[in-house]
Amino acid sequence: MQAIDHHAWTNHWRDRHPLEKLLPALSLLVLTLALPPLKIGPLALAGATLATVCGAGIPLKTALSVLAAPAAFLLAGVPFLAISLRFNDGFSLHFSPEGLQLALETSVRALAAVSCLSFLTLTTPLADWTPLLRRVGIPAGIVELILLVYRLIFVFAERALTGRQAQTARLGYSRLDRSVRSLGLLTGSLFQRSLEQARRLEIGLAARGYSGDLRVLQPEHVLSWPWLLWAMTLVGLVGLAGYWI
Amino acid sequence: MHIAEGFLPPLHAAAWTAISLPFVIFSARRVTRLMQDQPQTKLLLAASGAFAFVLSALKLPSVTGSCSHPTGTGLGAILFGPSVMALLGTIVLLFQALLLAHGGLTTLGANVFSMAIVGPWVAYAVFHGTLAINAPLAISVFLAAMLGDLATYAVTAGELALAFPDPVSGVGGAFIKFAAVYLPTQLPLAVIEGLLTVVTVNLLKQYSRNELDNLAFALGGAK
Repeated sequence: MQAIDHHAWTNHWRDRHPLEKLLPALSLLVLTLALPPLKIGPLALAGATLATVCGAGIPLKTALSVLAAPAAFLLAGVPFLAISLRFNDGFSLHFSPEGLQLALETSVRALAAVSCLSFLTLTTPLADWTPLLRRVGIPAGIVELILLVYRLIFVFAERALTGRQAQTARLGYSRLDRSVRSLGLLTGSLFQRSLEQARRLEIGLAARGYSGDLRVLQPEHVLSWPWLLWAMTLVGLVGLAGYWI
Repeated sequence: MHIAEGFLPPLHAAAWTAISLPFVIFSARRVTRLMQDQPQTKLLLAASGAFAFVLSALKLPSVTGSCSHPTGTGLGAILFGPSVMALLGTIVLLFQALLLAHGGLTTLGANVFSMAIVGPWVAYAVFHGTLAINAPLAISVFLAAMLGDLATYAVTAGELALAFPDPVSGVGGAFIKFAAVYLPTQLPLAVIEGLLTVVTVNLLKQYSRNELDNLAFALGGAK
């Protein structure tokens, strides 16, 4: 999590307008879902990874490690698409060729889609999305809620890590029953501290005249139309290539 | 158990989004009204959302080789009620997709339906149902968290089965298949999550009684 956020704030494309990254990435995602996966999938995967590594300057290792979590989900689920269950006499398992085809298509499609998503997350910090969320009609209050959650996540994560280290040092995770107890206590105290933090924030804000509206300065990004057109053309070319090959 | 980005066929992804949307919009309306009436609820909800996210990043002791994390669905439903959880859960799932690449944007609807809608409602119903028949608090909390977890997992298996019906035995066969694959890891996890939630709720009841009462949480009325 820290790694993703770190790269989101420091990559080469950090100062690009969020739309310049969002539109091409989402278009590529839609193409990946809509076109035959075995053709467009590898192209989209290569395109998104290339943009992440060469364009935004994210280390290849980080880009791959982001792909690892969904890949594990695929490994667990996909093999069972290729096996079919029959109920003729009792039940029996069979290998099915069309299932194998489906499994292959699904994994390629998912990997390509995840690479589009990881391009977005690795190049754009979450805080940059908020003006766009306002634009698509999400109420101001909800957007502020999202920003506050983003801020607090890192505060609490640090606390959770510290608490966990302290518990581990006292052998809190040496057996399963102890682990359950330790984690339960950690969860409880984390929640207590969260409530406390919320109350302190509330008092602090009330002292500054808070009336339900948090005003923050948004960094200004200038939308570069040529850049956006260029990126969309590239995505269109990938789509065409996937369609014709 | 998050369905990965791009795993569902486009039609299914769109359908689940359409199903989840009304719940989330209803929840957003309610939360917005709450925040307008009492501005401090915004901070409280933000703290709870961040808490739920961090909770999901804490790894549980590994059971049957898989490393998994508590979902916090049961705890959230008990503390805030399911109508708030729909929005809070959606925000947490969005953050998991964008900060951890866990889940995804196109599968957000399906994940929201299983984890932020069905799970909390089941947990809430079980919690209040068991309290109504005078079950001890610990038992209600345990059952609510465990069954909420199992409901989430059953819905996820159902979503996968609808998207990938078995070529021979159809959706039913596929459901059995997916359910059987995940059962060995999900059942112990659900039990552990239940125990965990009991420990947490006991701690909160003991040391945060005032806060819980002040915030008019459901717990105040329990035993």
